Amino acid sequence: MTDISYPLYLDLAAGLFLLTAVGVLWRHQLSAMIRLFALQGVALAAIVAILGVHQYSLELILVAGGLGVLRAGVLPYLAWRALGDSPAEARETRPVVNVAASLLAAAALTLLAYAVTRPLVALAPSPATAILPAAVAVVLIGFFTLVTRRRALSQVVGFLLLDNGITATAFLATAGVPLIVELGVSFDLLLVVLVLQVLTTRLRTAFGSSDLDELRELHD
Amino acid sequence: MTTALLLAPIGLPVAAALVYAAVGWRPRTSAWAGVVSTALLAGNALGLAATVTRHGPVHTAGGLIRADALSAWMLLGIAAVALLACWASPSYLAAGHTSARQARRYGVLLHLFIAAMATAVLAGNLGILWVAVEATTIVTAFLVGHERSRTALEAAWKYVVICSAAIAIAFLGLILLYYAAQHAGLSAEQALDWATLAAHAHQLDPAVTRIAVGLAVLGFGAKAGLVPLHAWLPDAHSQAPAPVSALMSGVLLPVALYAVLRIKTIADPALGAGYLRTLLMILALATLALAAVLLIGQRDFKRMLAYSSMEHMGLIALAAAIGTRLAIAALLLHMAGHGLAKTVAFLSSGHILHRHNSSQITDVRALATRMPLLAGLFGLAIVALLGFPPAALFASELGIARAGADAGLSWATAAAFAFVVVAFAAITAHTGRMLLGPPTGTASNEVSDPPAALARSAAPPLIAGLLGVAALGVALGPVAGLLHAAATIVGAP
Amino acid sequence: MNGAALIGTAAQVVMVVAGAPLLVGLMRQVRAWLEGRAGAGIGQPWRDLRKLLRRAPATPTGTGWAFRLAPLLLVGTSLVLAAVIPLLSTASPLDHVADLFAVVGLLALGTVTLALAALDTGTAFGGMGASREMTVLALVEPTILVAVFALSARVGSTNLAEIVTTTLHDPLRVASPASLLAAAALVVVVVAETGRLPVDNPATHLELTMIHEAMILEYAGSDLALVELAASMRLTILLGLLTSLFVPWGIADAGAGLAALPLAVAAFVAKVAALGVVLGGVEVFIAKLRLFRVPELLAGSFVLALLAVASSFFLA
Repeated sequence: MTDISYPLYLDLAAGLFLLTAVGVLWRHQLSAMIRLFALQGVALAAIVAILGVHQYSLELILVAGGLGVLRAGVLPYLAWRALGDSPAEARETRPVVNVAASLLAAAALTLLAYAVTRPLVALAPSPATAILPAAVAVVLIGFFTLVTRRRALSQVVGFLLLDNGITATAFLATAGVPLIVELGVSFDLLLVVLVLQVLTTRLRTAFGSSDLDELRELHD
Repeated sequence: MTTALLLAPIGLPVAAALVYAAVGWRPRTSAWAGVVSTALLAGNALGLAATVTRHGPVHTAGGLIRADALSAWMLLGIAAVALLACWASPSYLAAGHTSARQARRYGVLLHLFIAAMATAVLAGNLGILWVAVEATTIVTAFLVGHERSRTALEAAWKYVVICSAAIAIAFLGLILLYYAAQHAGLSAEQALDWATLAAHAHQLDPAVTRIAVGLAVLGFGAKAGLVPLHAWLPDAHSQAPAPVSALMSGVLLPVALYAVLRIKTIADPALGAGYLRTLLMILALATLALAAVLLIGQRDFKRMLAYSSMEHMGLIALAAAIGTRLAIAALLLHMAGHGLAKTVAFLSSGHILHRHNSSQITDVRALATRMPLLAGLFGLAIVALLGFPPAALFASELGIARAGADAGLSWATAAAFAFVVVAFAAITAHTGRMLLGPPTGTASNEVSDPPAALARSAAPPLIAGLLGVAALGVALGPVAGLLHAAATIVGAP
Repeated sequence: MNGAALIGTAAQVVMVVAGAPLLVGLMRQVRAWLEGRAGAGIGQPWRDLRKLLRRAPATPTGTGWAFRLAPLLLVGTSLVLAAVIPLLSTASPLDHVADLFAVVGLLALGTVTLALAALDTGTAFGGMGASREMTVLALVEPTILVAVFALSARVGSTNLAEIVTTTLHDPLRVASPASLLAAAALVVVVVAETGRLPVDNPATHLELTMIHEAMILEYAGSDLALVELAASMRLTILLGLLTSLFVPWGIADAGAGLAALPLAVAAFVAKVAALGVVLGGVEVFIAKLRLFRVPELLAGSFVLALLAVASSFFLA
């Protein structure tokens, strides 16, 4: 990859990465959110693959392939299964913060991410670290989605966005954390999603829907 | 020999879990496998403590497993609480009419939980520490939802979502720390090793380290029940089975704070003591305030115990904020004493729950007259938690107050103890309502048959726990050297 | 200021005035073909305008100067915009007016005048259309300002001609995230400003949820002709702005002489016609958004524009 186009491709992949996060906040339907999350997995794998090609590292490219399979294939599939096939479940009930306000909050969170990550970019300026703000913005947007959504599955998608952002930060800031930790993290993530899927199914049988507004029996 | 001492704490609980997976839970035979395993674990912990006191820090597996005085102290605490919880599990499960399949799953998950916590305190690499703490979330998710009721499901859901998000934030902090370490010249394998990081801390870039440490403390602090991500704690502790609540309060919360202490050993040389002191002070005071206020109107005694755990974690965070050697020594003693006392409290509350079929405070009346043994055990545990001598918590709270005054943080310490007084009053009022007074005849919520008295076989673990708290409060004995060594590692002179 | 530049500007104005109704006709014809109808032909809007111009205008009782002024002001601002925006050449005698803020202000002026005229009529439909148009405008203004600002941040100037010239000389800039995000935001803005689907349906005049058609319901005769012409001119100008900012090849540079003009005209016609065909085709497949969902769409486009500014400042 030539030196001119490497920052360009990286920027494009990061732009797609951030846009899919904004899109998850925008859409109402759970199926659309899951599709956007799968697209984000592809963007994440693309970022890591571009980094791998630039650094002539076969290991990174293989890791990118694995990431793509996990985040764009396995995890969205598990989320689809948890969606169930009843149409009433397919839409988001009114979120805690309405969509227009959430989008403006996403813009504010992106600016916050840029402000907060200035020391990080300043430590080692390079085209890779210049994209760190986008990854941290996805972390913040994922956390925001987790907090402001009422459907169990939307919260799961928010958590997965959070994790995607963190993985992107890991690969952009360093050449990925040590392999053993990355493997442990991926395994943990898979287990967490499995656990959440099982709990969602049980929630649906116990409460009749997975609307978290129904979960109000425990409070002070 | 050292390698065996270091690997056994992880291997023994895993072996017990395998036994349960293979054989299932048989009330008279395999149920005691857990007790045997945790007893061996306790012996192992004592051996490790002796080795570390005599020879200093030891490590194996290329530095991935590392034990110094702090790890040994935490492992002792884990072993003690795990022993009590496993000892009390058979009678708890029998009284709760658990099915064989549920009991087997309980056995497997409980021991995997203990194994994960042992891994966390013995990890030499912050990444492995993180993976172990995350593993505890996954394993306890199903333990919390054990009862399969609507409220248990709700508690399990909140627990998994909030704790996973918090742990993910902590992981982001660790990544940024790794980034700073790589730029300080550490190699990839050593960049997350806490011993190397502590040694090279002054080379880390301050701005990046500040962000990293802040995120990590927020993330691990949430797992310890500190504000702002504390909402899972009361629900999870009140809905989980009593031995699991005991383990969570007695061990999981302190292990999360242990992670914070490890980060403190790196942050203080890199950033100066002021940053973490301010951050932890804010978190501690907020947690204490919230716990004290919410204790006043409590109607559920298991939630009351959960908020009491939050209050004590706030006190521990306060001690970590103060940061002197005396404060850290008091912190470690408080962890141990709180672990034992809270275990007894939760276990006896589990028995009260089984006998009254309700966890509301108003449904339990005049316990002292009707079930004197159970009331005595529960009452003494609460008395220990409130900080009366000879419980260890008396000595540790005195130590924290003294350390706070010595460090010039008198106002903050005074505010914290004001909240502790409020919590004291609230807990005393609620417990008094439960234990004292004349029996009023059958209340409307009681079952028609009078509840059975506590079985003789269920009492020994509770009595052992109370004796342990009292013994710790009177004299440290052989573990004094360990405590001093551990305090020296973290605390500033 | 040379003769070539003057001729270029004049050509721009003539082309926009003459071509705008043809563009609208093309879009309607594409829709008709896709829907399986024969369609009325591309020249139909011109025939409608001719018919309307022959009729006498009707002024409802109770209306004042706002109602009479609006068609003239609309056409006037559209003519100025056609002259100012670099559609055919970047050298124009009105160069110092070709500032981003001035252009956006002129667009807003036209919209506001029409809204005032609608309020002036005192009818229910007029008030309804005016209030909805103002809501859309309030959300669209920041987006268009921020999006073009994102483009101007790299160039260092908000002069449209300079932005176009810089893009002409550095083609790879169009593929940068800032540029792509700004393009996405501007597409939504164009759809909202010109009242196309999914924000407003231009094909019906009697929907209860109409925005633009509600405002011009009371116009008749030559007034209506002017208003319709101005609306089609604004559509052409905005599509032309999109192509100038993002696909500027073919626009005559400052140094090129008169000979580059025919190529520029051909390029402009081709690009805007292609955009119009695409827009018309897409309209067949999407449904109109419910009115309370429109702010969500516009907030989303604002976020895209904001992200464009952020990435243009922070990415290399």
